Amino acid sequence: MKQIMLITDGCSNVGESPVMAAALARQEGITVNVVGIVDYGTIGELGSQEIAEIAKAGGGMSRIVGTENLAQTMQMMTRKTVVQTIQQAVHKEIRQILGDQTVSDLPPEQRSQVVEVIDELSENSSLQVALLIDASASMKPKLRAVEEAIRDMMLSLSSRKGESQLAVFHFPGAHSGEDAVLDMDWTSDLGSARSIFQRLVMRGATPTGPALLKVMDFMRYGTLNEHGKSWREKTEGQDGILGDYVV
Amino acid sequence: MESSATTSSKISLPQGTRIIGRWNGGRYVIQRLLGQGANGVVFLVKREKNGKLYALKLGFDTLDIQSEVNVLKALQRQGRRRGAAERDLNYLVEVDDFTYQGREIPFYVMRYVQGEPLRAFLARRGPRWLDVAGLQLLQQLGQLHRSGWVFGDLKPENVLVGAYGEVELIDYGGVTSEGHSVKQFTEWYDRGFWGAGSRTADPAYDWFSFAVVCIHMLAESALKKAATQLPQTRSRSDLLAIVDGHEALAPYRAWLKRALHGEFSDTAEACRLWKEIVTRRITPRRRTRPGTPGWIVGAFAVSLTLLACALYLTFRF
Repeated sequence: MKQIMLITDGCSNVGESPVMAAALARQEGITVNVVGIVDYGTIGELGSQEIAEIAKAGGGMSRIVGTENLAQTMQMMTRKTVVQTIQQAVHKEIRQILGDQTVSDLPPEQRSQVVEVIDELSENSSLQVALLIDASASMKPKLRAVEEAIRDMMLSLSSRKGESQLAVFHFPGAHSGEDAVLDMDWTSDLGSARSIFQRLVMRGATPTGPALLKVMDFMRYGTLNEHGKSWREKTEGQDGILGDYVV
Repeated sequence: MESSATTSSKISLPQGTRIIGRWNGGRYVIQRLLGQGANGVVFLVKREKNGKLYALKLGFDTLDIQSEVNVLKALQRQGRRRGAAERDLNYLVEVDDFTYQGREIPFYVMRYVQGEPLRAFLARRGPRWLDVAGLQLLQQLGQLHRSGWVFGDLKPENVLVGAYGEVELIDYGGVTSEGHSVKQFTEWYDRGFWGAGSRTADPAYDWFSFAVVCIHMLAESALKKAATQLPQTRSRSDLLAIVDGHEALAPYRAWLKRALHGEFSDTAEACRLWKEIVTRRITPRRRTRPGTPGWIVGAFAVSLTLLACALYLTFRF
């Protein structure tokens, strides 16, 4: 299962439309969720419209939150998206058997069994989430909170039974033409999420669309060889890893 | 703050609204709002059939509420197999859907338990009652743990206490089968929030939350201060420092430290050690209260001497 989570605080202004990019991602089976961060202020009519539209095109959810709710929101969205993706697959099966019905149309007894299956699959399915962070100048004061939220999300993901991996990108890169920069390759190791944004150069432009396309490229090709590599770390004492970053 | 606080749909139904089940046709009339959880809203309702009061939870999301119902059902099945007390078997009354403004809202009906949240109870009865409520709570948790479940979202609001410290856990939205990731949690009481371990459900996860609940009840301002500092510096040692530094927590000190470290062999041991604290706090007093004042001992000795003298004099002549 693949998800992209875009974290931004405004509107894109360069390159392809992010809405189109999200629609493409959905075609490839990648769900796109969007979090808009606001602190003391609003995100603007245009910004919030774009955020909602990207998520809609990407088959995901969008929320606009303050930094204090960022971690919770990211986890809630990831979790719900996993459940929804599985639900959609289950719906397809149900439709084949029962015609045009959803889980909510089933009588409570049968519903109970279906949900049991969905719950079990949600917990055990393998999951990849690529975080794409808007690092334009206005985001700078919020990056600490973003980093913290990523660490917290990592903790939740590594508590799942199924295989979970996270990768982090930011955009734009240092040079024009560098649409997104990989900050953290697929990992399920909490320790590596300690200081993510080291090579950050703030620039004014916000090429959200091109950055999304870049991340999709990475998910398409970059993952195949990596998959399953950083796995052993998850099963070996999580406390050890944790103790590491607590200090 | 709920981990899944951002459910968009709000349900507000006025008093007197009639809720009719779509599948089973059960009829309930709303009396008043009881509370709000992460997955839904709980109302006090009267069943039309028998005029009895129940608690009815309207859910925001069919899957979430069904998942919660599944847990409750599994608990009841397990309880029945084990032959648990009657009162625990009738928790869940029925599950159904309610059509409201063209939308199907899932709901379930459970028994209504009168009681007040832990904080209100302790404020009214005095902090010493944590001894009683705490023991009851641990026993409830122990029951869950023995069946392979972890409560997950343990916090003062989810602990309902009756007049004499009987405890009822409410909101089963966080109940997770052991080994899975905890479904729902609240920052302050979350092991992960304090960098003290994973969010994988195990009994120790509940022990940790229990310890933070105790700290919250007896040393609130210190906990608040520790919780609002920078996340990078927040750690389990902050909690340990509070436990060490506060007089109100002194009787529980050793126990709380073990709970924060997850160092009980099982919840039964946690229960037993808690019981020891509670009884140890009572027994020394019983020993000192009937303690005989010195002057009585002296007077007794004098009277014995006098008696001896009297006897001696009597039998001598």
